[in-house]
Amino acid sequence: MNFKDHNPLNNKQYRILDFNGEVVNKEDLPSLTEEELKYLYKTMLYTRMIDDKALSYQRQGRMLTYAPNTGQEAAQVGSAYAMEKEDWLVPAFRELGALLVRGVPLRNIYLYWYGNEWGSHMPEGVKVLPISVPIASQYQHAVGIGMANNIKEENNVAVTYVGDGGTSHGDFHEALNFASVFKAPVVFIIQNNQYAISVPRSKQTASKTLAQKAIAYDMPGILVDGNDIFAMYVATKEAVDRARRGEGPTLIEAYTYRLGAHTTSDDPTKYREDKEVEQWKPKDPLIRFKKYLLNKGVISEEWEKETLEELEKDVVSTFESIEDKSDTEIEDIFKYHYETMPPQLEEQLEEYKLFLEGGK
Amino acid sequence: MRFEFKFPDVGEGIHEGTIVKWLVDIGDNIKEGDSLVEVETDKVTTEIPSPRTGKVLELKGDAGDIIHVGNVFVVIEIEGEDSEKSSDSQGISDSIDEEDKKKELDEKEEVVEEETAGVVGEVVASSEEIPPSTEGIESPKEDIQTKKVLATPVARAMAKDLGIDINTVEGTGPNGRVMKEDIRRAKEEHLKPKVKEGLENRERPKTKALVLEGSPESEDLYERIPLTRIRKTIAEKMSESRFTIPHTTAMDEIDISKLDKFRKTYKEILKEEDIHLTYLPFIIKAVIRGLKQLPEFNSSLDELNEELVLKHFYNIGIATDTERGLMVPVIRNADKKSIVELAKEISDISTRAKNNEIDLEELRGGTFTITNYGSIGGYFGIPIINHPEAAILGLGRVVEKPIVKDGEIIIGKVLPVSLSYDHRTIDGASGARFINILKDLLMNPDMLFLKS
Amino acid sequence: MTNKLNLIGAVNQALMNEMELDETVVVYGEDVGVEGGVFRATVDLQKKFGEKRAFDSPLAESAIVGSAIGMAINGLKPVVEMQFMGFSYPAFNQIISHVARMRNRSRGLYNLPMVIRAPYGGGIRALEHHSESTEAIYSQIPGLKVVIPSTPYDAKGLLIAAIRDPDPVLFLEPKRIYRAFRQDVPEEPYVLPIGKAKVLQEGEDVTIVAWGAMVRDTQKAIKMVESKGIKPELIDLRTIAPIDRETIIESVKKTGRLIVVHEAPKTLGVGAELMAIANEKAFLYLEAPPTRVTGFDTTFPLPKGEKHYIPSPERIAKTIEDVVRF
Repeated sequence: MNFKDHNPLNNKQYRILDFNGEVVNKEDLPSLTEEELKYLYKTMLYTRMIDDKALSYQRQGRMLTYAPNTGQEAAQVGSAYAMEKEDWLVPAFRELGALLVRGVPLRNIYLYWYGNEWGSHMPEGVKVLPISVPIASQYQHAVGIGMANNIKEENNVAVTYVGDGGTSHGDFHEALNFASVFKAPVVFIIQNNQYAISVPRSKQTASKTLAQKAIAYDMPGILVDGNDIFAMYVATKEAVDRARRGEGPTLIEAYTYRLGAHTTSDDPTKYREDKEVEQWKPKDPLIRFKKYLLNKGVISEEWEKETLEELEKDVVSTFESIEDKSDTEIEDIFKYHYETMPPQLEEQLEEYKLFLEGGK
Repeated sequence: MRFEFKFPDVGEGIHEGTIVKWLVDIGDNIKEGDSLVEVETDKVTTEIPSPRTGKVLELKGDAGDIIHVGNVFVVIEIEGEDSEKSSDSQGISDSIDEEDKKKELDEKEEVVEEETAGVVGEVVASSEEIPPSTEGIESPKEDIQTKKVLATPVARAMAKDLGIDINTVEGTGPNGRVMKEDIRRAKEEHLKPKVKEGLENRERPKTKALVLEGSPESEDLYERIPLTRIRKTIAEKMSESRFTIPHTTAMDEIDISKLDKFRKTYKEILKEEDIHLTYLPFIIKAVIRGLKQLPEFNSSLDELNEELVLKHFYNIGIATDTERGLMVPVIRNADKKSIVELAKEISDISTRAKNNEIDLEELRGGTFTITNYGSIGGYFGIPIINHPEAAILGLGRVVEKPIVKDGEIIIGKVLPVSLSYDHRTIDGASGARFINILKDLLMNPDMLFLKS
Repeated sequence: MTNKLNLIGAVNQALMNEMELDETVVVYGEDVGVEGGVFRATVDLQKKFGEKRAFDSPLAESAIVGSAIGMAINGLKPVVEMQFMGFSYPAFNQIISHVARMRNRSRGLYNLPMVIRAPYGGGIRALEHHSESTEAIYSQIPGLKVVIPSTPYDAKGLLIAAIRDPDPVLFLEPKRIYRAFRQDVPEEPYVLPIGKAKVLQEGEDVTIVAWGAMVRDTQKAIKMVESKGIKPELIDLRTIAPIDRETIIESVKKTGRLIVVHEAPKTLGVGAELMAIANEKAFLYLEAPPTRVTGFDTTFPLPKGEKHYIPSPERIAKTIEDVVRF
């Protein structure tokens, strides 16, 4: 594929698989092995399972606020799968599928949403930044990582994510500008899930597409069907390769839909019609991919059933391993602000410990 | 008037230049813009034009000389300007606050504008030098704790209001903190000796006048004598003590036969040194032993803060009868003094008290008092505590008495003691224990020496 | 070897030294590369170390700081410049939301060895927004260090320490005294401790704490009162966060009095914190109320009014006398 063939102003989504799982763009169909295809589908199922369980735990009062990913699995898993081992992933906060692909253990993810900072302490070798809550601010971190790669003459790429609302942010534009000026090896992905909490995409920008914003910064911008795992994988792969070749950044708009709420504290019925949600349900990325895989004989219903059972066991046991056992150590609250704790922090910690011990 | 032209910064941040050659002579008439001199700096070689029209009065320096930025190098006589402005010098933009600049120039001749890079604003530049950093050079640290007493601001304010130097007040609070009470006490003691009128003028609680039987008063039957200052103080102190401290008194007899022998042996020897050895130094030693073992006897009750203030020093007051009335000079740090030293000090202070030569300072700061009424007469008594101390020991007259020892009646020397103590802070058992300590030590003076 | 440098020269030399020693040190910001910074702090760095390590960035403070975060995570030691402290606010979100928090957020995995330099303070007759002293705002943010030198010697030692520090440092340079005086400065690199105040002058009557350009003005004020027999102790705070409480407490216990001098507005400033420290830790030694001599709770005036705003030596001297005579 060539970005030049996909002008974002045409408002046409780049697609390989249609809603029925039929290949509509044979030329671009990635040559992935059966094992790879199974891995991708399994990771999407895993993402969905983690979401469903987290929502259930939250409603049972066993989990804190949680931001679900349902409907966006292809955009996340497909894009992250295009990365190489040494590449950096710089997430916002709704990239569960991408985090799993990049090797972040579920334990970390649940710990984070369970309210413990250790969730953001990635295991050795996992080049993933912590979840970033201030909208679009993380785009600039990815740019800095990319600039450093250029300065150090290393061949890594940074892939970063933002939502449709984030494109309104100054940080979004500053980041694109910087990356373009410095030819930073960065892939900017917009998960356009149509809503910034309650505000629809149409109210964020008058631009026809979000991808077209790339034009101002003289970088390729492509509008991709975000529910098509192949399209997401191929587009991101091309962007990553480009960056690695020293050709600079790319902006990818993953056109998708948030089937769930913004977070567990949000009630989407207040700002969108059920009808709209119903219309998007058949476009669910898992349905499409499953049809393709069944047709190709890569998976069977039996395989899916067994896989789901296996995943459920893993999710439940992981959650139970942290549930009620993850209270923050008091020292941890103080210990990580500086390499060496300043005396005032030490004093505050000591005073508080004394207080807890019933001292003076 | 004279215009002093200071060598301007002709490059970006230069400090000095070398005169290549003068282009004018003294006495020349020049116009603004005429070249005065050719100067070489590390950045440029350039001619410097005159900022004013007039006549050259002075040229400072010769070819080859170095001139510093900011130093006057040409003086020009100009006409038609008021003299006040004439002291202005070139090299300073008119647009900025002249006054400030002038002040800085006055302060340091070398202040010049070296470079004002910054696109916005003007950074004042100067080649003034400040001393090298003293980083890492330790200056000897003085002991910082020595000078200042610990006190709350409220106590400091009070001391200030009452005109008392708080650093001279002995604190009775935690870690020797000076409390409001200490200031109040210091003030009272401060007033007593120095300001005679002080007491008379002081507002006193309105007490009832004494109405005597048989009216009208007959001078034959009664005589009214105004109280002396010291008598008033004694009266006040006694009332204060009696009405605030619930007293209780323990009494006992102590066989001091051995001590008496011991004393007699050395009394004569010491007499040659003019030292009068009484029982009292031994008793003080025994008392200190008791105070150390039962610290509540060496304490004060802070009623306001509901705290018992233990004192880690031993200042023993010796109640002394004088012509003017009772006085209680204090032996400071008695625990650190030998029997002989105590003997000397007792006779010294009691003599001086009797002669009215005692300093006020010597009457302050006691922690425990001994009253020796026995030297005059009497056996047991109920001594009144010297407020705010916690206890007082009364000594009766030493008499020869039959005592039973090992089943035999023998004649022994007996010292009667009466110990009054603050029953709020000291229980009866402690009182008995204190007396037992005195008894053990005074009965066996060997132990007294071993233990003190 | 020593050289006589002014403060801006010392900053430049510190950067030179560190870039030479450590090739992961990179310097960038607005006008930093070719021009060498609007105050010439980064002059000749590009010439010496090339465009890769000393360069001009687009005019976007948030992205300057934001990208520095990414660089620091990815193995570099960026030293970025905010052209003026008053222009650091577009980067405020990056500074408080990420710079200060990344280490804690990742439980020690991602520390940010980065420095944000900014000329700060008034007194250069500049336009609006060029005279800010908002060090207190940044100093309250856990995870940030805030350093302010007052002499060329300190500027060099502290900046090198900041660059070598494993944690992010906001390095504020008092631009009013960028070129006001020179001092012997060793040519070779050296570090001064961050988090340690310096007793500049020992005295017994009152402790005066100042930093940045106010140190000089306070020294002038001290000269005025010394003739009246007052012996103040002067402390250059040097690090605003974390504050060196020990040095302050020790001094206040000795003198019983505290005056804080700062250019920033009075209310809720660093002075308030220093007074709180004296109150909490030296209460029983205080002989006069801890007092501040500061700018007003107003916007920094335009040039024709700025001389009223910055505490003058006379104003400081008057306060010293009042406090000592309290």
